Amino acid sequence: MKVLVVEDDQTVGQYVRRGLEEHGYNADWVDDGLEGMRLIGGGHYDLVVLDLRLPGMTGLEVVRTLRDRGTTIPILMLTAQDSVDFKVQALRAGADDYVTKPFAFEELLARLEALGRRPKELSSPVLEVDGLRLDTATRDVSRDGAAIELTPKEYTVLEYLMRHAGRVMSRTLITEYAWDYHFDPGTNVVDVVINRLRKKVDQGRQHRLIHTVRGVGYVVKT
Amino acid sequence: MNSIRSRLTLWYTVALGATVLAFGSALYFERRGSSIEELDVRLSLEADFVSQFLSQTYQVIGRLTEPDPRLPIEIPAAQRPRQLEATPRAFLDGVSTFLILTDRLGHLLYMTDTTGATRVRPIGGLGHAPLVLSEAAVTKLLTFAGPPIDQRSGTLSGDLVPGPIRYLVRRVDRAGPEVGALVVATSLANITFGPAQLLGSMLVILPVILLGSFAIGYLLAGASLRPLQGMSNELKAITDGRSLHRRLAVPPTGDELASLARSANQMIGRLEQSFDSLRRFSADASHELKTPLMILRAGVERALTNPETPADNLEELDRVLDEINRMNEMIDNLLTLARVDEGRAALVRQECDVRDLVTDLAETAEILADATSLRVSVSMPDEAVLLPVDASRMKQLLLNLVTNAIKYSPEGGTVSIRLADQNDVVTIAVHDTGMGIPAKDLPHIFDRFYRADVARSRTGERPGVGLGLAITKWIAEAHGGTITASSRPGRGTAFSVRIPRPPTADSSTED
Repeated sequence: MKVLVVEDDQTVGQYVRRGLEEHGYNADWVDDGLEGMRLIGGGHYDLVVLDLRLPGMTGLEVVRTLRDRGTTIPILMLTAQDSVDFKVQALRAGADDYVTKPFAFEELLARLEALGRRPKELSSPVLEVDGLRLDTATRDVSRDGAAIELTPKEYTVLEYLMRHAGRVMSRTLITEYAWDYHFDPGTNVVDVVINRLRKKVDQGRQHRLIHTVRGVGYVVKT
Repeated sequence: MNSIRSRLTLWYTVALGATVLAFGSALYFERRGSSIEELDVRLSLEADFVSQFLSQTYQVIGRLTEPDPRLPIEIPAAQRPRQLEATPRAFLDGVSTFLILTDRLGHLLYMTDTTGATRVRPIGGLGHAPLVLSEAAVTKLLTFAGPPIDQRSGTLSGDLVPGPIRYLVRRVDRAGPEVGALVVATSLANITFGPAQLLGSMLVILPVILLGSFAIGYLLAGASLRPLQGMSNELKAITDGRSLHRRLAVPPTGDELASLARSANQMIGRLEQSFDSLRRFSADASHELKTPLMILRAGVERALTNPETPADNLEELDRVLDEINRMNEMIDNLLTLARVDEGRAALVRQECDVRDLVTDLAETAEILADATSLRVSVSMPDEAVLLPVDASRMKQLLLNLVTNAIKYSPEGGTVSIRLADQNDVVTIAVHDTGMGIPAKDLPHIFDRFYRADVARSRTGERPGVGLGLAITKWIAEAHGGTITASSRPGRGTAFSVRIPRPPTADSSTED
């Protein structure tokens, strides 16, 4: 699965490219609209992540030109503009979806997955960590075969941690995934959810799966 | 009715009324003055005639007077008051004007018979009525005739006479030593009849004229203001924030209205320019502020998710990420409000069950409350509450209200969220048992950047910048609804959002 990232800022471009590669995509990055047009026209890509403001040719012009030529490749637009005007413009021009900057990488990933172009090897619906099983298709959670009832937020937090099993996820990352980054709770909601999750997942077990990393966040690991 | 129209009409009427009045009174006084002059000429002619007759009679007969026969015989002839002889008296009786003849000492020689019995002779021209004078009036006239003067004329009015009279006194020299002066008089009532009639007819005509001018003025004002009204409606439509590219039609007349339209168009042009630059500014600001945030975020997120980053750094990185989110939220709110001001903030409304939004929020509220030992109660109808809303904005509204309620409630308090659907109005009410909002702050809590009392929230929490409730208010109003707050200090605060269901059950509408 080849993704072309067209983004004029190097840091952002590299961040998206590397992030995608870590998640199993094959990604290239260019920083110019015209160059992007040329590469997409070559037909070597399955998916495009396209910035709005680009040198050479703006993102909207690129989308319009591609659609005029009958190219159906899915296009996800990146924009700093969070206005309905823009969203309507982008979708009318022929973009399939958009993400507003600054975005969490998880959000970009989720949008790309929604475009239906997620690499098959990663699309397994079941996440499993040492007997803790989470089915993203049915939203069923069980440990060692015993079903666990979770509230929506508890499920989302656990899913996030299990998706990144073995890696420490900071409170802010968890918060913005389970709510969104417009949410400024003022208090640490993640701690509350983790406490509840612990009672359901780890209580009475010898082997704990949810670990606290002091001052930072949480990790699910064996 | 518009006030300019009535004011113009009033001015027309007043101006016309004043003109008519001025014209009428000028006419009246002019007419009156010339009538008196005319009368004086007649009186003078009459006096000429009488004195000429007396002089000639004197020259022919040699005397004009005789001792008054009514006086006792004993009085010596030289001392006897005298009176006019029968012949000239008979002649003077025939004169149409009121006459008095005196001797050189001012004693009465002859006076027109004032009983009126013999004097019912209207004379031609002025059509004088017979003049009947009281004794006092005659005495008064005699004082005018007393001193030897050549000629004098005047008007006598007041209590002495029944109406104003015009008189003329003339010295008579050549009618013998007995005759002194002649007084001719006539009533002014006759000649004032002309101007008085004028005044009378004016009093009748004036209201008619005023009424007519009022009607005409009203129609004229209406006609001349109609284009203005049209222009005003057009302007209203243009300045709603989305139609600034349009211009007023300039009437081809080249009159004041055309110049007004041109000025208005210039103004709209400048407005359009400044709106355009504002629009560009908010687009640029989005880009200029958010691109660096994106770059920051990209770096921080990569470092934060990199397994090789030392744990010591993770805490700092997470704090930076939190700040980036805060800043992003603030920029979003500012830009949203900027767009609201431009009239360009829009909603994407889609029919959804508001209960889902509340349920989604309820868990968050409950988690938040758990962290601060609060109780949350949620109530909502059993049936779906379908309403076309902008779901993400609605979530923002609910979250703002609930986080506020939780933030300002002391430990152990209760926050209740109630959703109700009645008579096509969906009400969302959020109550808390917090410290309340002082009455002086209550009217301002929806103002931008208004922070009633920073110390109000629990210690250790950072206050917001004061945009949350302004945004919340906008969201409620953009849905065609209202938001109200009521509070009792020490008891708690209640926010109530009421959103009417649009009349048509259109599933997706854009606002």
